[in-house]
Amino acid sequence: MTTPITYPDVVSWAVPFFIAAILIELAWITFKGRGGRYETRDAVTSLIMGAGNVASGIALGFIAWAFFMALWQITPFDLGTAWWVVLLCFVLDDLRYYWVHRFGHRVRWVWASHVNHHSSQHYNLTTALRQTWTYTFTFMMVVRAPLILIGFHPAMVLFVGGLNLIYQFWIHTEAITKMPRWFEAVMNTPSHHRVHHGRNPRYLDCNYAGVFIIWDKMFGTFVPEYDGEKVDYGLVHNIGTFNPLRVAFHEWVAIFKDMARPGLSLRQRLLYAVAPPGWSHDGSRDDAERMKEKHLERHPEDRGTPGFG
Amino acid sequence: MPLIILGPLVVIGILAIALILHLSGRTAPRRLATEAEARDAWAREYPENPALTILLSSDNRAALIRATRGLGLVWCLGDDTVARIVTKSKTHTTATGLAFERREFAARRINVTLDADTLALWQSQLESK
Repeated sequence: MTTPITYPDVVSWAVPFFIAAILIELAWITFKGRGGRYETRDAVTSLIMGAGNVASGIALGFIAWAFFMALWQITPFDLGTAWWVVLLCFVLDDLRYYWVHRFGHRVRWVWASHVNHHSSQHYNLTTALRQTWTYTFTFMMVVRAPLILIGFHPAMVLFVGGLNLIYQFWIHTEAITKMPRWFEAVMNTPSHHRVHHGRNPRYLDCNYAGVFIIWDKMFGTFVPEYDGEKVDYGLVHNIGTFNPLRVAFHEWVAIFKDMARPGLSLRQRLLYAVAPPGWSHDGSRDDAERMKEKHLERHPEDRGTPGFG
Repeated sequence: MPLIILGPLVVIGILAIALILHLSGRTAPRRLATEAEARDAWAREYPENPALTILLSSDNRAALIRATRGLGLVWCLGDDTVARIVTKSKTHTTATGLAFERREFAARRINVTLDADTLALWQSQLESK
């Protein structure tokens, strides 16, 4: 009988660190008078979204786990548990994260889950914890299938995914301006991720990286933080509520309302679910590309600057 | 981490952070002090639909915007602002002013504080929409 492979649930063990880091950031902002903003209800909403994310993982995690274990049963490959296998799994899982995250911004069905992470107009360590409750319904667990089919054990894949999430916690801050140049070149940093949270046309749909920013550089989605334009955080049309239930489900409701509109073809109904956010059957809404075009019509001087290449 | 430890840790952590933020004056501090601030808040979400006239609410936490295309509302949410076109919104008076009822799940009802004189001005604008 073989010993089952287990790894620690690193995200839950990181919770005390999350709380301590938030208090340290808050103290830093208070005493230095710079480095970010906090608002009570915004922060509490983010923290409740984080707690709900853990709860939804406990409640619905068995679906993804069953899927992964089914794949593990059919794959003939087993790469084992050597340290270099874990390291390789971490790097490849980060590539997986890049694509899931990119889908999360370019496919409305996945955006419905991810949008709540962008729904705060603040950018502080609580924003990192404003996580989805509905990830299971996006079916993005299929993007992890190749990792398991090539021989990484499901427990290892989830373990490195947890490490990936923990890494991303600290980059949700304005308290750190820039890291050393070599680090900014390879790793995702507060500066790169601030850009990702921007609602300015310049900063829409870029910097999808989790840990390694090199994926954005490889796939042409990297935009550096531009000294000439401060990042404005939040959504293009900001959410008008702190109610966690509305934050969690508002885009799902919007999708189903759009799909149920009278007089649409089947294709149009489908596109309301899977086309990029901002798509509409009559062109009455703007997606990110159109918003960038319209910005350049108003500000032609920005053409060629970061984000408008 | 066992749930019996994780659960209380999360609850106490959230309560402690909320208490510190509230006691340090960080709860809903935003006001639209001037029409210019309301104009900027509107332009932030509708840059292609400039504000023409602006009516501030009595508590400076909202503004009714007559824009190039339709009527809009800017209101304060926490330390920030939100803006929406309200041309199709239903409104009704409340004990403290006016309520905007919207079909949007994430911004269903917006209560605006208006004294009698300001309420009359807002209603006049809304009737001419």
